[in-house]
Amino acid sequence: MRFSGLMRAMRACVAAAVLGAGALLTAPAQAHHSFAVFFDSQKSVTLTGVVTQFHFVNPHGLIRLNVKTPEGKTEEWKVETNSPSVLRRRGWTPQSLTVGETITIEGWPARDGSKYARLRSAKRANGEQVGKPFTPEG
Amino acid sequence: MTRATVNRKLAIIARRRALPRWGGAAVTCAFVLAALPALAAGKPDLSGFWNLAGGVPKDKVLLDKLPPNTVVLEDTGAAEFPAGEYGGLKVKAHALEAAKRWNPRDDMKLSNACKPPSIVYAMQGPFPIEIFQATELIVIKLEYFDLVRIVFMDGRPHPGADYPLSKVGFSTGRWEGDTLVVETTHLEPATITNNGLTHSDRVRVIERFRLSADGNTLMATQEFEDPEVLDNRGARFIAWKRQPGEHVYPYECDPTFALEYQKD
Repeated sequence: MRFSGLMRAMRACVAAAVLGAGALLTAPAQAHHSFAVFFDSQKSVTLTGVVTQFHFVNPHGLIRLNVKTPEGKTEEWKVETNSPSVLRRRGWTPQSLTVGETITIEGWPARDGSKYARLRSAKRANGEQVGKPFTPEG
Repeated sequence: MTRATVNRKLAIIARRRALPRWGGAAVTCAFVLAALPALAAGKPDLSGFWNLAGGVPKDKVLLDKLPPNTVVLEDTGAAEFPAGEYGGLKVKAHALEAAKRWNPRDDMKLSNACKPPSIVYAMQGPFPIEIFQATELIVIKLEYFDLVRIVFMDGRPHPGADYPLSKVGFSTGRWEGDTLVVETTHLEPATITNNGLTHSDRVRVIERFRLSADGNTLMATQEFEDPEVLDNRGARFIAWKRQPGEHVYPYECDPTFALEYQKD
């Protein structure tokens, strides 16, 4: 079951959900290190939080995010992106995210249970999609 | 050199009338043949920006050229094998043991994060390529890790064993009908499947490139044999779509990204 209250009242929270069937070997376009080893393509994670850093470099970009749990604690999550070379063709730029803005991210969680995820898509507080999300076609 | 430039130079030659009538014609012909792209020699023009494309049916003409005892790996592009899966490659015992000892966190050490794979893995990666084609050489520029391949088309032999190894190796090419055949040796050991299996410096790669009938899809098979590591051959079918006006971006890998993997 996926948390759906993330956008409700802009309250930050975090959820992970096991997805249904998916192609076993299909993973998002990756660069260099193994996606399949580090991330679980059969699960998803949704995070809403405040951006504290956006690093737009190859081989992967990185978004740091302060996420409030339902208990009111603040957790720092790190979200790895595709190669910025790939993201640029999906409409991303180094200025796509601003420190202090609230965003909601969907992605794949790290297999080791750490607060680390791989980006699939990102939306601003007003619902606007940042760039184009990942698709199996790339 | 553009066709307009060529035409201007030819006009200058004609105006000067410095050469005898037939001598001038010979110079003109030689100049045109040397200066115009491969189309002048009747070869397909692979020049342009090509973005990796999924869902393109495998080309039977290319597959039929694969030698016996070759397995086609189904991990092109976004697909990826999990740890311990090598797609049907028959891996020699010592190489299999080494692959099992692979620790993926080693890939994310500061010293390793920006080491590119060789063309065995890089060509099928989810990044575009750009091809610059002339009669005597073809340049294939990969966005992935800024790799640049030079394919010598002038018939030169491959160098000896003391030639330095690299991730792009040494490539020679020839045309077989409408198909560009590229042979690459002198590759530095690097991953085959991005999950611990590594080819040796004895790997030999044969690639066949051809255009679709409409010229908008570039298709290739990349086969490789490695007597140090494999008891069969591996191959991948790769396809790219033409995107006019696009160019390969700089990659400029920043290894400090690996620090994220050294923390909690």
